[in-house]
Parts: sequence; C-alpha cells; structure tokens
Amino acid sequence: MNEYSRGSIEERSRQLFDASVDGLDMRVRSRLNQARHAALDAARSKRSGFFSVPAWTSAAGVTAAGILGAVMWFGSPMMHQLSASHPAPVAADAQNLEDLDIVATSDGSSGDAIDMLQDDIDFYQWAADKTANADPGTVG
Amino acid sequence: MERFATLSHAWMAWDGPAPAPEDAALDHTKELEKFLAEVERRAFRIAQVSLRDEDDALDVVQDAMLKLARNYSAKPSSEWRPLFFRILENGIRDLQRRRTVRKRWMSWLPGPKEDPDEEAQDPMDNVAAPGPDAPELLMQDQAMRQLEESLRSLPARQREAFMLRNFEALDVAETARAMGCSEGSVKTHYSRAVHTLREQLGEVWS
Repeated sequence: MNEYSRGSIEERSRQLFDASVDGLDMRVRSRLNQARHAALDAARSKRSGFFSVPAWTSAAGVTAAGILGAVMWFGSPMMHQLSASHPAPVAADAQNLEDLDIVATSDGSSGDAIDMLQDDIDFYQWAADKTANADPGTVG
Repeated sequence: MERFATLSHAWMAWDGPAPAPEDAALDHTKELEKFLAEVERRAFRIAQVSLRDEDDALDVVQDAMLKLARNYSAKPSSEWRPLFFRILENGIRDLQRRRTVRKRWMSWLPGPKEDPDEEAQDPMDNVAAPGPDAPELLMQDQAMRQLEESLRSLPARQREAFMLRNFEALDVAETARAMGCSEGSVKTHYSRAVHTLREQLGEVWS
C-alpha cells in the first residue's frame, strides 16, 4: 500500500515539525517572548507575595499599637476615672493599701495580722461605705 | 521547592542551613525561564496545528505559560513538562468547544458568517526566519502542510497522543498525565494515529 514504515513516518514528521518550529517568523517569536516574561513576572510576584507580610497583619498591628498607646497614655481606666473626678478617694485608697502593706509585712505572725484585721473589721466596713456613698468633695 | 504551612515555618527554614529564599527563588525563576524558552515555540506549533489560527495559538500558549507559572511553578521542574502540556491541551480543547458553540449561534444569525480559518493575514506574518535554500524550504513547507492536514483529520485524542509522544518526546506515562488518561489509552491513541498517518502520507511522501 505504501513504502513508509511506522518509524519513517514518525521520524519524517518529527523532522518536519522541528523545521517548522525553527522557521517561525519574528512576530510569533516576539509575542512568545513577551508571554514568557509575563509568566515569569507572575511567578515572581506570587513568590514575593509569599514572603511579604500579609495585609491583615499590618491592620492588626496598627490596632494593637493604638490600644497599647491608649493604655500607656491614660493609665488604668479605673484609676484615670478616680483621679479625674475623685481625687480624695484616691488618697484614701492609697492610704488603705499602705495600711494593708504594713499589716502584711508586720513582724508579727500571720495569725496576729488576721486578728488585727478582724478587730477593725467594722471600721473598714464603715470606711468603705463612706468612701462609696459620700460626696467626693467632703470625704477625707 | 519546599512549601511552608505558615510564615513561621518559613522563618525557621530561613534560619536553618537551607539557602536563602532570595537565592533559591532566583535559581527557580531561571529554571522556569529556561523551561518556557525551550517549550514555547513547539507548544505554539502544536496549538497552531490544532487550532489553525496563529493568534488563538499564541493566546493558548500564553495562557498555559501563565497558569504554569502561577499555579505550578513551585512543583519540581521534572513535573513541569506534562503539566504544561496538559494545560495547553485543555486550553486548545476549551477554545475548540467555544468555537463550536459560536459557530452554532452564528449559523442562526443573518449576515456574513464568521470563519476564523479565512481571516485576512498580514503577508509579513509568513516571512520565515533564515533557514534552508528556497527549493528545499518549499518542499518542507508543502510536506508540513500535508502533515498538518492529516493531523487535523485525526480524532483529537489521537492527534494529542501523536504530537506529545512524537514531537515532544514525552514518554507514555508523561503523555498519559498530560492527556489525563491511562497509559493504555495513550498507546491505543498513538498506534491508531500512526496507522492513519502512514496510510494518508505514505504514498505522498514516498
């Protein structure tokens, strides 16, 4: 039927195909070159995107920095509120803390310290009520 | 290239004995560029044979290169070739399907019918790069046209198998991966393609 063997057809067609690839015109070569560079740019941008900081982390960082700054500027919110509108209770609280500190660090045994607290429990209850209910300007 | 589950893993790797990411990325990009440069013209010719249109073939090749670079460039380079040709063949098939649908719709509309095979061409497009002497070039050109016509007459899967196995020298396993079928199917498609081409071209080329 024909003189071409299977191998000959394959080899001949491969040679023709290779020749047609080598003979591509400059327009096609140029466009393929551009397409290759576009693909490489895409690969590079994807790779650099992996190592860069994600967008959400910058937003979270700004938010965290804002909160930290506010806390550092204003101090504890409760302390700020008391110092702004109730200066006397602050002094009273500070004194109470100091008293507690003395009690806790007294040379006596811990049992003695608890006894002292129990002895004055009414006083402390009264002082607490007074502090909570009294007009800020009259306390202290 | 290694993939990292989290950014901290990447940093750990950075601190370890592995090469710096910038150097590895540069080597990888160079390797990808070399691969694409090797394959782009042959891929274009394969697409052109199947699609009969230069611009469509360029678009499909460009799309395949972009998809490989974006989605699979992190894979080992040994896997790029079958992956690339799988993307290419999928692109060719998609375009052929769209053409079929478009032709079907165009046949219902009045006015001139669109035929991509009969688009006007710039004569300069056919200017070939320097090569063999004119008579030899003419014979080659004629033989190649006959081959293209015969390839186009083949069923798509047979054509794919023949071009990937014979033109791109992919082995059976790689061709199966590129075509998304079994190795047995590749062998069958290829054998039938060779048989048909021998029948059609044997007498012409002898």
